[in-house]
Amino acid sequence: MSTTTSTAEPMIRLEGLTKVFPGQKKPAVESLDMDIPAGEIVVLVGPSGCGKTTTMRLINRLIEPTSGRIILEGEDVTDVNPDKLRRRIGYVIQQVGLFPHQTISDNIATVPKMLGWDSPRIKSRVDELLSMVGLEPATYRERYPKHLSGGQRQRAGVARALSADPPVMLMDEPFGAIDPITRDRLQNEFLRLQETIRKTIIFVTHDIDEAIKMGDRIAILREGSAIAQYDTPERILSAPTDDFVADFIGAGASLKRLNLSRVRDIALVDWPTAGTNSSRAEVLAALRASDKGAVLILDEQRRPVRWISGRDLGREDEPIAEAGHLPEAIIQPNATLADALNEMLKSRVGCAIVVDQSGAYQGTVDFATVSGEIQDMRRDARERSRAEAEGIHAEGSVNG
Amino acid sequence: MSILDYLNDQGDRLFDLGIEHLVIVLISVTLSTSIGVTLGILTYRTEAPRQAALRLTGVFLTIPSFALFGLLIAPLGLGTSPVVVALVMYGLLPIVRNTITGLRTVDPAIVESAQGMGMGRYRRLLRIELPLAWPVIITGVRVSAVIIVGIAAIGAVVNGPGLGKDIFRALARVGTPTAIPQALSAVLGIIIIAILIDFFFLIVARLTTSRGIRA
Repeated sequence: MSTTTSTAEPMIRLEGLTKVFPGQKKPAVESLDMDIPAGEIVVLVGPSGCGKTTTMRLINRLIEPTSGRIILEGEDVTDVNPDKLRRRIGYVIQQVGLFPHQTISDNIATVPKMLGWDSPRIKSRVDELLSMVGLEPATYRERYPKHLSGGQRQRAGVARALSADPPVMLMDEPFGAIDPITRDRLQNEFLRLQETIRKTIIFVTHDIDEAIKMGDRIAILREGSAIAQYDTPERILSAPTDDFVADFIGAGASLKRLNLSRVRDIALVDWPTAGTNSSRAEVLAALRASDKGAVLILDEQRRPVRWISGRDLGREDEPIAEAGHLPEAIIQPNATLADALNEMLKSRVGCAIVVDQSGAYQGTVDFATVSGEIQDMRRDARERSRAEAEGIHAEGSVNG
Repeated sequence: MSILDYLNDQGDRLFDLGIEHLVIVLISVTLSTSIGVTLGILTYRTEAPRQAALRLTGVFLTIPSFALFGLLIAPLGLGTSPVVVALVMYGLLPIVRNTITGLRTVDPAIVESAQGMGMGRYRRLLRIELPLAWPVIITGVRVSAVIIVGIAAIGAVVNGPGLGKDIFRALARVGTPTAIPQALSAVLGIIIIAILIDFFFLIVARLTTSRGIRA
């Protein structure tokens, strides 16, 4: 089925792409048509054996298609030199595949060297990329992959894929081999990075939760890489096209939707604050003026330093900057509501503190905000499916 | 006559023979390495040629050295050339086997990511696969060199160079007072050369292996 609504020229267009492996009757990928819009993360997700990895590898022709065309930026690349094609497409795999005998800097320089960049340009690009993925260049440039943790290797792998600034990146379960806590952090970092680099990314995973979190669009694939639904995460969660998609999403769709809203999209709750050099009387006044049980103390850069409750104020011997307890549950505006909920469950005050990139206080998110959002989403979904049911009656068919 | 007296008397001559021995071993190992590594590279990816290469070089090693040296007289005459050819043949198996093993144990994910970044077949082999297989390959070269040091002594039967000459001379004069010290000092020389060569390749392996994959 044809599923794309975007009118701009797609970054990648797959036309009737088919792969039959030698000795197999059934195609691994059967006549796949798909448009991948520029600057978006498109996640290919599906049960194992559905052909999602094969599909991805057809795009950079690590697997040569049996038939069909691959169009990249309007150019038919089905028959061009595959090595040259691959230098225009970043590639990240689950095992990362850093070259263990080369330093991190040499690893990242792989494609620029093949493209014949001069060494000052390569060097400055390597440093730029290392900082971009959060690895301090002076510390990590000359290290070997074995000296890095799994998460750091993954970041170096992303830096390497970005080295020649390719318009397209292919990522095959890039966070699959990483522990859940680090994975979550890397996913968030990657999304933040994507906000600035705006690459067209094809991302393969078998994990629907990761797909919902990472994808601007999700293609749910069934056997033979047939598209069951190709849509935004919101639409897939609220209006799965058939039982296959509904089963694949699984239970808890409304909780999953919390992964779709980000803290920056909702109204933050103001919380009483005071500076580190405030007097006890000022803090007490701020506390009394609000309906909250604690005051958040901010330093000169407006970064949260302490929570102080009314009881903490009673202990006159402590300076304000040391009274109370350390603020936990600090999140950034690009965190999802699921992250926020998770964090606030850990907080003694029962809310998550939102700070900007520099760590300065922006506001807070509390339970009431999150449950309000859930209700809004439910209402939206209900209205949408009602409208759609009416639309089906009216037109006989609705899609995308 | 004690061995010490003998060494005192014949030291210079023994030293020269030792150098000859060392040189012929190094020449043979160098040739064996170029042929063996090439053979390994050509065959490691496909089953049938790989087995053929291993079997052929394995057969070489089973030919008794005396017989092989003798057989080579017909085509190559006496002297250095039959010795070098025989030693190259004996040295092949460890090098071919280790080249194949080394290349086949390179992590496929690493090769795939190299390919995915647009490295062609040739560049991949040169920049990624060979450097990663190198510690295993150089170990094969080292084993080969040590094997060859011993076999080179037999080269004296075809008038080859090296310490083998003294062993055969001594064997021809068993019963004379200098026979035993002469044979023993030549054997001692060969052992010393073997130890030196082993140590030399250990250093070479260390210096030519990337810090990122050193144990």
